Amino acid sequence: MTSEPVIETEGLSKVFGRQRALDNVSLKVAPGSIGLLGPNGAGKSTFMKCLLQLQPITFGSAKLLGREVGREGREIRKRVGYAPEQNCHIPGMAGCEYVTYCAQLSGLPFQAARQRAHEMLDFVGMSQERYRKVDSYSTGMKQRLKLAQAIVHDPEIVFLDEPTNGLDPKGQAQILELVQGLWRSYGITVILSSHLLHDVEQVCEQIIIIARGKVLVHDSLENLKARKSGAAEVVLARGHGELQAACRGKNWACDVLPNGHLRIEHRADTLNPLLTLMHELHLPPLEIIPSPNALEETFVQALEISHAAA
Amino acid sequence: MPLHDAHYQHWLGSHTSIWGRRLVIAQNGLSACLRNKQLRTFILACWFGGLLMAGTLFFVGQLLVPDSIVTQWVAKMNPNLQAFARMLTFWLKDHPAISVGTTQNVLFYFYCVYSMPLSIFALGLALPALITRDLASNAIVIYSSKAVTRGDYLLGKFCTAFGLMTLTWLGPVCAAWFMGNLLAPDWNFFWYARIALFHALVFGLSSMVILCLLALGVSAVSSREKSTPAIWFIWWVLGLAIQPIALHTLPWLRHVSFGYDLRQIGLATFRLGQDLKTAQDGIPIFGQMLKNVSLETRAALNDPTLGGALAGLALMLLAAALIIKKRVAPE
Repeated sequence: MTSEPVIETEGLSKVFGRQRALDNVSLKVAPGSIGLLGPNGAGKSTFMKCLLQLQPITFGSAKLLGREVGREGREIRKRVGYAPEQNCHIPGMAGCEYVTYCAQLSGLPFQAARQRAHEMLDFVGMSQERYRKVDSYSTGMKQRLKLAQAIVHDPEIVFLDEPTNGLDPKGQAQILELVQGLWRSYGITVILSSHLLHDVEQVCEQIIIIARGKVLVHDSLENLKARKSGAAEVVLARGHGELQAACRGKNWACDVLPNGHLRIEHRADTLNPLLTLMHELHLPPLEIIPSPNALEETFVQALEISHAAA
Repeated sequence: MPLHDAHYQHWLGSHTSIWGRRLVIAQNGLSACLRNKQLRTFILACWFGGLLMAGTLFFVGQLLVPDSIVTQWVAKMNPNLQAFARMLTFWLKDHPAISVGTTQNVLFYFYCVYSMPLSIFALGLALPALITRDLASNAIVIYSSKAVTRGDYLLGKFCTAFGLMTLTWLGPVCAAWFMGNLLAPDWNFFWYARIALFHALVFGLSSMVILCLLALGVSAVSSREKSTPAIWFIWWVLGLAIQPIALHTLPWLRHVSFGYDLRQIGLATFRLGQDLKTAQDGIPIFGQMLKNVSLETRAALNDPTLGGALAGLALMLLAAALIIKKRVAPE
């Protein structure tokens, strides 16, 4: 597997009239599962559209899979999949016809396209509904169909724009599981754009936070968590009060969360002081989640800095 | 249990060419058009028109055969016509280029020009399946994210419209020419009728290209399925209605009608004025018959307003191109 960056941008800017949707974005993104985070209107979708040439770049340059965006559009898009946020099916087509057609548009011969379409519809968990007209699909089915058409031609990188929008919790979990598997099991780089931190945290290993058209953070989730070390969420079977009292004794903030877990701010780089304390109290933890809100805190902090700078 | 392996599998085959992908867009558009029952009926009507044309050519061909069933039947109806038919037989021997070539040229001009409205109507019905629906459903985004460019998409849609017009217009015209001459009394008919076919092809192909581009433009005007056919038909009918009014007041206004402009191209292509002159010079009786043709008609035949027609069509095509450029963008 290549370790060359899949996305390289240099001073990438996109201007709509007076508004700067992307402002001098310079990035080198390695293959993996990448979460594109930001509030609504931050420039996440514009960033993806510029890379896919759905929007022309105003200034700067971008490379996708080592090829210059804007010069080798067809060749790039043969190796790229995209599931847009909005519905964009072709009316009057059945689900399997639609995915077959999308595969053909990506350059697969008809027989292969039809076979791949059925395989991908199986993969995303669609059964007999595939023979129904797309117009009659529920939101969940449309999301699955969008994912199927995005990966039907076996892309090297797939862009997913808010893939869990409008889904119930069960549907969300299923889609996220599928998306997670794309990189972990099949080596397809995933760029997941979302404003839902939980979705990104569950699926992605790298995080890019965008706000006001600027990249505020680009790092691995692991590093972000390490930066926010000093807090942990502890699940106990018993002895909540005992641990709380001990924490107060050490001057550590300790709160009971609505789910019954304890959030402890131990202010150390590692969990060792907390583990030692629990060992001394003979309180075996059921689970310890280090830096539980690292992403959320980083996100909020980045936005605050961005607002202050503006 | 699914029929296929529900695990993801990589695909290792080779890709189709870009022309293959454009063809897929055209095929898909055409099959979407043919789902319309009205349109299928129109296509049948167009082929029925082609059959009538082939019958007419057969009839005219039989008139040139001495004592053919048609000649005898004509003689029973009117003895004078029998004399006319015998004369035609002599013409065939002396002036085959006029009796076959000119006759078919004139017949094909009228057939091409008068079967064009059916084709324009069919194109109007097909407009939603060209670009309108893709605009309404945001499918343009999907096209743009696949291995095709906006140009490929438009070329595919153009081929859809072109394919439809081939089914409704050029196909019946070519089939009528072939059938009519196949049933003719002499194989030489194919040779003498070649100019008529050439004119029909030049006129048909150029008109189809223009009409298809205009149709793409109108199809991109709106994302409402009912609006684009309405705009097309209103424009067409308004153009037809303006012609008699504008003739004596503002003649240039006639060029607003693409139907009128295409007829001028037809006149210039088929060179009917030249044919009339040849017929008059070559066969005296034709000269007598054609004296009845009004001066206005002669002027129209001899000197079609080609410059105005081309300018009018160029402006319309420019407008269509601007609409497409503005509307057929991914966002």
